[in-house]
Amino acid sequence: MAKLRIQFENGDPEKVIEFDPAKAPFHHDGRPGSVLDVMLGHGIHLEHACGGNCACTTCHVIVKQGFNKLGEASEQEEDLLDKAPGLTPTSRLGCQAVIDDPNAEIIVVVPRYTINQVSEAAEE
Amino acid sequence: MTTGSPPAAAGRATLGARVERIFDHTPDTRSLFLSLTSGKHLRFVPGHFISITIPLGDETRSRPYSIASDPEDRGPFEICFNRVEGGRGVAWLFERRIGDTIDFTGPFGAFTIDQPPDAELGFVAEGTGIAPIRPMLKLALGSASPRRVHLIYAAQDRAHILYTNDLERLTKTFENFSYETVIAPGEEIYDRLAAATQSRWVDRDADRTRHLYICGVGKGVIRLRDLLRGAGYERRAVHYEQW
Repeated sequence: MAKLRIQFENGDPEKVIEFDPAKAPFHHDGRPGSVLDVMLGHGIHLEHACGGNCACTTCHVIVKQGFNKLGEASEQEEDLLDKAPGLTPTSRLGCQAVIDDPNAEIIVVVPRYTINQVSEAAEE
Repeated sequence: MTTGSPPAAAGRATLGARVERIFDHTPDTRSLFLSLTSGKHLRFVPGHFISITIPLGDETRSRPYSIASDPEDRGPFEICFNRVEGGRGVAWLFERRIGDTIDFTGPFGAFTIDQPPDAELGFVAEGTGIAPIRPMLKLALGSASPRRVHLIYAAQDRAHILYTNDLERLTKTFENFSYETVIAPGEEIYDRLAAATQSRWVDRDADRTRHLYICGVGKGVIRLRDLLRGAGYERRAVHYEQW
């Protein structure tokens, strides 16, 4: 079983998911077996304003462990990550970062801020 | 299995919008004009989309729809969409009536123009991919720069070339604006767009300082991106949104 540990920069409690990558997809948004797919399929929310179509950066996560165990990022994902606030060398889009190694132990952090953070400021 | 506390709650403010007007461009392409239920004005930049909460049976899904109107317009804002086979979200949107309310978050998106670059601008739109580009054109032409702006716009038939009155008006108002249309069946549309793009922005001259913006559906968008980057345009000068 693969293990995905999710930490939240906003202080929400850590979550741990154990899952069989061969059973992907677990939900209907994002690439099958992606961090987003695994999280949503196990009842854990991750923003994905574009529906998990690699068209925004709201599912930005920072990989603390297991970066090399994830499927490689496409040029499209890299282009979007360029625009993600708080970009790090181990940033990925949750909708695109696929975990297919059944022995992977991945730790991701969900940053506090994502691009175009929505607040009342969206109204004027 | 999961361990720990209940799922983290969604961290984004949900806004409400009322359907003020409906306009059918064609039998399968519609615009909704929306106003915030709060009475305030939605702040966005050209290219942004909103993420609409769509109830489907026992669950809800969020689906993105580009804003097709000008952020400077103080009236309702506009989203534009077309029916797609098996598209349950868009089918739900087609069922909305004047006075109905919808919930959404946003605006979002990285395919935007806030400050137009000081360069010639080229746009490629396929179908309803014109939606985010429409306000971009107005922004690019509304600023003082005399930069050239050209649009290549493709659709399956003449009826699906949307906003033609707008485009004609821009053509008459701004000498530095021009556009061309590509009419082709779906399976040929990106072949034809690639040919038009190659002709205009690759073969015609050696200028690679332009900024180019592409929006459409499917892998053809990536093909156009690769064509332009492969021809020498800087990576960050080729902007695209693929749906």
